[in-house]
Amino acid sequence: METISLDIRGQICPACLLITLREINTYKTELRAGNACLVIRTDHRDATRTIPGTVCAMGYDITVTNRKGYYEITIGCRK
Amino acid sequence: MYSGIVLTHFLFGIGLGIVMHRSDFCMAGAFRDLFLTGDFFRMRALILLVAVTSLLLFIGRISGLVASYPPSFYGVPSLANLAGGLAFGVGMVLAGGCVIGTFYKMGAGNLVSAFAFSGLLFGSLLFAAFHPFHRSFAEATQLSVGYTAVEHVTGSPIVPVIVGVPVALFFLFRGKREGKWKANAYARGYLDPWKAALVISAIIMASFILTGRPLSVTSGYTKIAVYLSDKIFPGYHPSPSAFNYDSVRFFYGKAVDGSREAGVDPVALSQVPLILGVILGSFFSCLALGEFSLPPFPPKKQALSGFAGGVFMAAGSLMAGGCNVWHIMGGLPVFAFQSMLFVAGVCLGSIAGGRLLTKAVLRVEAP
Repeated sequence: METISLDIRGQICPACLLITLREINTYKTELRAGNACLVIRTDHRDATRTIPGTVCAMGYDITVTNRKGYYEITIGCRK
Repeated sequence: MYSGIVLTHFLFGIGLGIVMHRSDFCMAGAFRDLFLTGDFFRMRALILLVAVTSLLLFIGRISGLVASYPPSFYGVPSLANLAGGLAFGVGMVLAGGCVIGTFYKMGAGNLVSAFAFSGLLFGSLLFAAFHPFHRSFAEATQLSVGYTAVEHVTGSPIVPVIVGVPVALFFLFRGKREGKWKANAYARGYLDPWKAALVISAIIMASFILTGRPLSVTSGYTKIAVYLSDKIFPGYHPSPSAFNYDSVRFFYGKAVDGSREAGVDPVALSQVPLILGVILGSFFSCLALGEFSLPPFPPKKQALSGFAGGVFMAAGSLMAGGCNVWHIMGGLPVFAFQSMLFVAGVCLGSIAGGRLLTKAVLRVEAP
């Protein structure tokens, strides 16, 4: 499975959500087919609310992992 | 007395910094999300803050705890409040945070907010250049003679409270029944914004009780800007009248004058510790959660947007007689006309700022 990485640490709100949505749209086919997952690095606390909330509503699976100094949000196809 | 003023405001700032960082209580986000994506989550908490503060202040007034009420420091409204709000609204969306949002985000290590802070300082100095025009505009567009708050029109202070507060609370509790108050956030130590709103209301109330006035930061960062300007460009003072009026009132109505000029006076002793407290409170909160790290340099457009947003916010605050801390956390709860006009301007500015940000800075489509 291909891993698409997106580092949006230090970016202003609402860039975190909007850039994530743009990336999901770009790799929609791969993500839907389960051939890729999108891994986002963010240090924006509210992005751990807005991204999972919006992306789950679109039918994707998400996991959020606490890393030192940032959060890692993994978006993949719902099994 | 002065050490008490410094300590009190520093502690207010520390409290605000911690609570705002934990909940990401972003007032810019409340307006921007509402108009850009239709997300009402943050606005709900902000309305709760205003409604609860209004109720607390009313109780404080009838119990004699709040000495300075009705609010004499909110003057006669003019279109300058609306125009200032408009500029402020554009600025806070471009900067990714309002004035106090810039402070707590900067404390948590956000570099765009550091650019916004430098924009606030630069914008404060820039304001002096068009201050004479602004003053003429404000005087020519005054909208009432002597009426500064709704209670002056209704004739009774209880009328706006019994109409406004229950309507807001009914609306909010309907949202609570629908489960819209609690956030599904994964951030460490996350505090739901509605809880943060209650803590912030208590801090505002404490400010009214101890100092007789709402919290304020505009004159504080303006003084920092003028101080730095005096050091870097000695002798440069584009408009001497731009910064030399303001006053603060401390401890049960004992009036102490101050100004926005550089120098140590009660304005500096109250507002600078408050600003410092917010930055440090957020910094320590971030450190305690193990979140602090120096992030990569933000995209250049966002850094520039942050700086420009800071300039707009500073100019807007000085035009409107205060920023969102002064008007939304202080003026709206006492139904001051100036603050209502400011908020109307902020709504318009947020719409314009949202379009500018998505089209020109981020180049993405809003959902």
